[in-house]
Amino acid sequence: MARFIIRRLIAMVFVMFAVSVLTFLIFNVIPNGDPAARMAGKNSTPQQIEAIRRDWGFDDPLYKQYFTTMKKVFTGDLLSYANRENVVDRIKDGAPRTFVLAIGAAFIWFISGVALGLFSAVKAGKVSDRVVTVLSLIGISMPVFWLGALMNYYLGYKLGLFPNGGYVTIADGGVFDWFYHLIMPWTALSVLFIGVYSRVVRSSVLDTINDDYVRTARAKGIGERRVMRNHVLRNSLIPVITLWGLDFGAVLGGGAILTETVFDIQGVGQYFQESITRLDVPPVLAVTLFGSFFIVLFNAIVDIVYAALDPRIRLS
Amino acid sequence: MTTDPLTDYQAEAPVAFEELAEAEKERASGIGPWRLAWRRLRRNRTALAFGVLFLLLVAVALLAPVYADQVAHTTPERNRIADTLHIGGKEIEVVSFEGVPTGPTWHGQYFLGADGNGRDVMVRLLYGARNSLFIGIFASILTTFLAVTFGTLAGYFRGFVDAIISRALDVLWAFPVLLLGVALGVSLATGGLHIGPLTIENNSIWIPTLIIGVVNVVYLARPVRGQILSLREREFVEAARAQGAGNVRIMFGELLPNLMSTVLVFFPILVANAVLLEAALSFLGAGVQPPHPSWGTMISDGLRFIVSSPTQTIAPGLMLVLTVLSLNIFGEGVRDAFDPRARVRLER
Amino acid sequence: MQYFSRRLFGLLSVLVAAMAIAACGGGDDDDDSGGGGGGSSEATPSGRTGGEATFAYASFPDYLDPALSYTVAGTQALYQTNMPLLTYKLAKGEEGATLIPALAEALPEVSDDGTTYTLTLREGLKYSDGTPVKANDFEHTIKRVINLESGGTSFYTGTIQGAEKYLEAGKAKGDISGITADDATRKITIKLTEPSGQFPYILALWFSGLVPGDTPFENMTKTPPPGVGPYKITEVRTGRGFTMERNDQYPELPGLPPGKLDKITINQVTNDSRAITDVLQNKEDYFDDPPTGDALREFREKSGDRWRPEVTNSTYYFFLNNRVKPFDDIRVRQAVNYAVDKRALARLFGGTLEPDCNFLPPGMQGYQKIDPCPYGDPKAAPNVEKAKQLIQEAGAAGKSVSVYGNDEELTRQVTAYLADVLEQIGLKPQLRIVNGDVYFQTIGNQNTKAAAGFANWYQDYPHPYNFMFLIDGKSIQNTNNQNFGNVDDPEINRMLVEANKKDLKEAAADYAAVDKRLVEQGYIVAYGHRILPFLLSDRLDYKTALFHPVIQAVYPTFALKG
Repeated sequence: MARFIIRRLIAMVFVMFAVSVLTFLIFNVIPNGDPAARMAGKNSTPQQIEAIRRDWGFDDPLYKQYFTTMKKVFTGDLLSYANRENVVDRIKDGAPRTFVLAIGAAFIWFISGVALGLFSAVKAGKVSDRVVTVLSLIGISMPVFWLGALMNYYLGYKLGLFPNGGYVTIADGGVFDWFYHLIMPWTALSVLFIGVYSRVVRSSVLDTINDDYVRTARAKGIGERRVMRNHVLRNSLIPVITLWGLDFGAVLGGGAILTETVFDIQGVGQYFQESITRLDVPPVLAVTLFGSFFIVLFNAIVDIVYAALDPRIRLS
Repeated sequence: MTTDPLTDYQAEAPVAFEELAEAEKERASGIGPWRLAWRRLRRNRTALAFGVLFLLLVAVALLAPVYADQVAHTTPERNRIADTLHIGGKEIEVVSFEGVPTGPTWHGQYFLGADGNGRDVMVRLLYGARNSLFIGIFASILTTFLAVTFGTLAGYFRGFVDAIISRALDVLWAFPVLLLGVALGVSLATGGLHIGPLTIENNSIWIPTLIIGVVNVVYLARPVRGQILSLREREFVEAARAQGAGNVRIMFGELLPNLMSTVLVFFPILVANAVLLEAALSFLGAGVQPPHPSWGTMISDGLRFIVSSPTQTIAPGLMLVLTVLSLNIFGEGVRDAFDPRARVRLER
Repeated sequence: MQYFSRRLFGLLSVLVAAMAIAACGGGDDDDDSGGGGGGSSEATPSGRTGGEATFAYASFPDYLDPALSYTVAGTQALYQTNMPLLTYKLAKGEEGATLIPALAEALPEVSDDGTTYTLTLREGLKYSDGTPVKANDFEHTIKRVINLESGGTSFYTGTIQGAEKYLEAGKAKGDISGITADDATRKITIKLTEPSGQFPYILALWFSGLVPGDTPFENMTKTPPPGVGPYKITEVRTGRGFTMERNDQYPELPGLPPGKLDKITINQVTNDSRAITDVLQNKEDYFDDPPTGDALREFREKSGDRWRPEVTNSTYYFFLNNRVKPFDDIRVRQAVNYAVDKRALARLFGGTLEPDCNFLPPGMQGYQKIDPCPYGDPKAAPNVEKAKQLIQEAGAAGKSVSVYGNDEELTRQVTAYLADVLEQIGLKPQLRIVNGDVYFQTIGNQNTKAAAGFANWYQDYPHPYNFMFLIDGKSIQNTNNQNFGNVDDPEINRMLVEANKKDLKEAAADYAAVDKRLVEQGYIVAYGHRILPFLLSDRLDYKTALFHPVIQAVYPTFALKG
């Protein structure tokens, strides 16, 4: 088991390295303007641009630039091209917001998704099941930025029921205001996943209900509730939980960028969006690494959990 | 959509015992799997209905130039900002002096109203459909091509080839999809793509097509690889090998045909995902570039006027939901048709 | 904001040197700004002193370091925290264009050949942290601008002796030979490479805002350097906002009263409509970004008398590149001029555009309204037929032209409109939207061969050449070109040289003539001047708040209702 974990961790490091190289290449190989000229501003002189190039190392060979940049990421010295602010500080500032958004939404969609899924499984075939199915399918098909924008404008701006976007820290506004500002973003982000999860749980439960060993348990006379609890629920939730682990990693990793942008949360995803439109490479690189770290981490965790449960996997 | 569409395949339709028995009977009857699938699909009215709806959307999108010319008498780019329309006996300013565009006129011209630049929303909606559907479909074709190629190579040859391809897929998988899409979209939108003799202008819709096509490969490549891994051990492959068939013949002759059903099952969902991804990228400015319309850019442009002129934002969103929903429902129908008891596990 | 490139400074030598001499010499027109000129002569209306306010910014300032900041968001604050040796009179219109001494005792003495400027620092000045201000701090301030490779570098490297060498040497601790100062006598002497009428204005730029001599050579945004001014920045929350508080060390300089408010908290609110709603609901007191779309409409409807339109000295125009076919043909340029519908543009701007065909803005000396406009009344429908005809005559039908714009709100929409106009008259536009951060470098690069596109200009200094350099043949460069259309008309060039030799009052008519010819030859398509809505919450006194032609919102004049 330990060997498996170590192997996975090594794979993690390798993958992150590859991701960093790939990101760096995207911006340095695809022509998109001279960062030195951009930093020098509108009425710059050639000497100015030269000076910037020299000081920031833009003339160095690519591999050297890559190592310098990566070193700065880890020492926390990375500066943005657009306004020379410290990228790592901005990420440290935005990360809690992204976490709060992701964790809150993940919690909501898991509970709601599972509850809805169970409900429709139990009522399989009936009208209520069909209604839930239709709603779930619509949820899956809805673009989160559209839903979020509509919610923001109609519930927030026009009707004033909710704040018109923005994020309030607990320090600034107290727990209630913080929570109040998060209700809409959490909802918008969860809708899609609730749809997916309710369907996954539904089929998973229906699968297990029809499984042989459940029939055996029933035949043995074990009460329906115990059957549900001990066999059906436990076994049907395993795939859901692993899926949840992957999705949570994906949302932390950058899936929240749309929600953050629409609701002006000022998290890490929004920082990425602002930076990328300005072709500001350092924040883009840093945020991508941040994001893939979580994706890879949660993938590894899920793998390890699976391996712990199923010996065949860790031996493959 | 950040969720792996594969997860939908952990879901399956409820199968009552009678249906199961029916399925067993059919399988035993000896009719080929394709005919069986088609039969089952035909019986699934809902799936068919939505499939037809999707085709209708495609048809309407293809007819966009006809609508623009004959009904609306304009183009998707024509800015008629200071014009006044005479419709139904009333005079309507396309864009008011304060810059607020008119709402729906429910007539041929400016049926759904105008956008901030005085352009006909309905016309842009239809042309946007063209662009969004084009990108969705062709990106998915590209994804399928790449995923089948790499998945087959990896699954069939295993060993070193598999190691390289799987590691590459791992790296792609680790890349946050939206971040990768936006990063590629923005850089290519600025500079265009120049690989040797191949040059794609930075305005072309081939750029988002390529990006989405590549980014989605991971979702299909793994299941393909998994399937090939299991298929290659089957008897018919051994038989072919015993007959002296080379690798190429086996791959093309035996494996790919068997893969087709998997691909067909995935394809509608792949297109749904691609359409959603394109909308997200265009919304963020990393997809379709102005002045070409796309549902995503229309939503983003319309936010300025969401309170005074909401049609601009609501219409493209509704079209998106409708399109993706149809594809999702039809896709499920296809999957059910091929194997009502299908249990495709998430490949690790 | 855009600034001169260094090559142009020499042109203004005689004229503006004359202006500077007139301004600092006699004192007949400057009684309330010279030397120790007593209490302010402009009426200081009521509005009580004290209290706190919150402002909303559309985006966090690029920098909160006077050496680096290049956006209005940053400079509006920095003008009040780090005053330079000279500044502007706090008044509106032309009066606000006059220079007055700030940290200097008086306007500079200029040598006869115009290359040596001498100023004396006021006695007993202290920075907001209590450290005394020294004459040598001026050189340190300028060194920071150059060493940090700020956007303002070329102002100094183009004028001060030894500044360019300092830049090339690349060492922070180097010396700028042209600046010498004596801490004891408080005298500062600046030697220029050649006479420059712009230099007094350069001394009034926020880049020249004094900072202590030990301020590090790095971006100090997180802990902005102390300065002399009505306010000091006490807290910076990067990316979110910052706080300004009354500076107790501020000695109250003549004509520059201390701030009324005790504390100003500035928050970033990227959502326009949210910011407007906040101001209307008095949750925020001022929002610095002009709203568009719904936000503008809401703002107009609900703000009653709490807003006023401030006409800025700005011009919005389309450039047509004379070096790229088919715009080298006057008929094609005229066609575009005939076809552009200024009423449409006014609508796109939601009523915040004053349609006009002049290139100079109405508030600028030298402005003479061109009436009738040669290509049609801006308030009437355009003559698209004539435009199509001209295109046919010139044989330009079907020619492909690139149309450039950036991705900011309004610019995007306006550029899409331009592309459509070009299509309507028979050309084939290729729309290219470029990120705002790199836009001007892109169209300013001759290699881009941008055929047509969006441009605008807000005055930096209240002098017509500040606009005219944009269409002067001499300004054309290979990179960082500001004459985007490569306008090189011998007649215009000659007139500008002549005008530069004269006193501004005499030259006004010449500048008007240049304006007229520029428009008639269709070199550019000027369509109007921007009106910025200035919105305050109910808590603030509307009458005292000043919106200055150069500094824009003057924070010390903002006060709670008395």
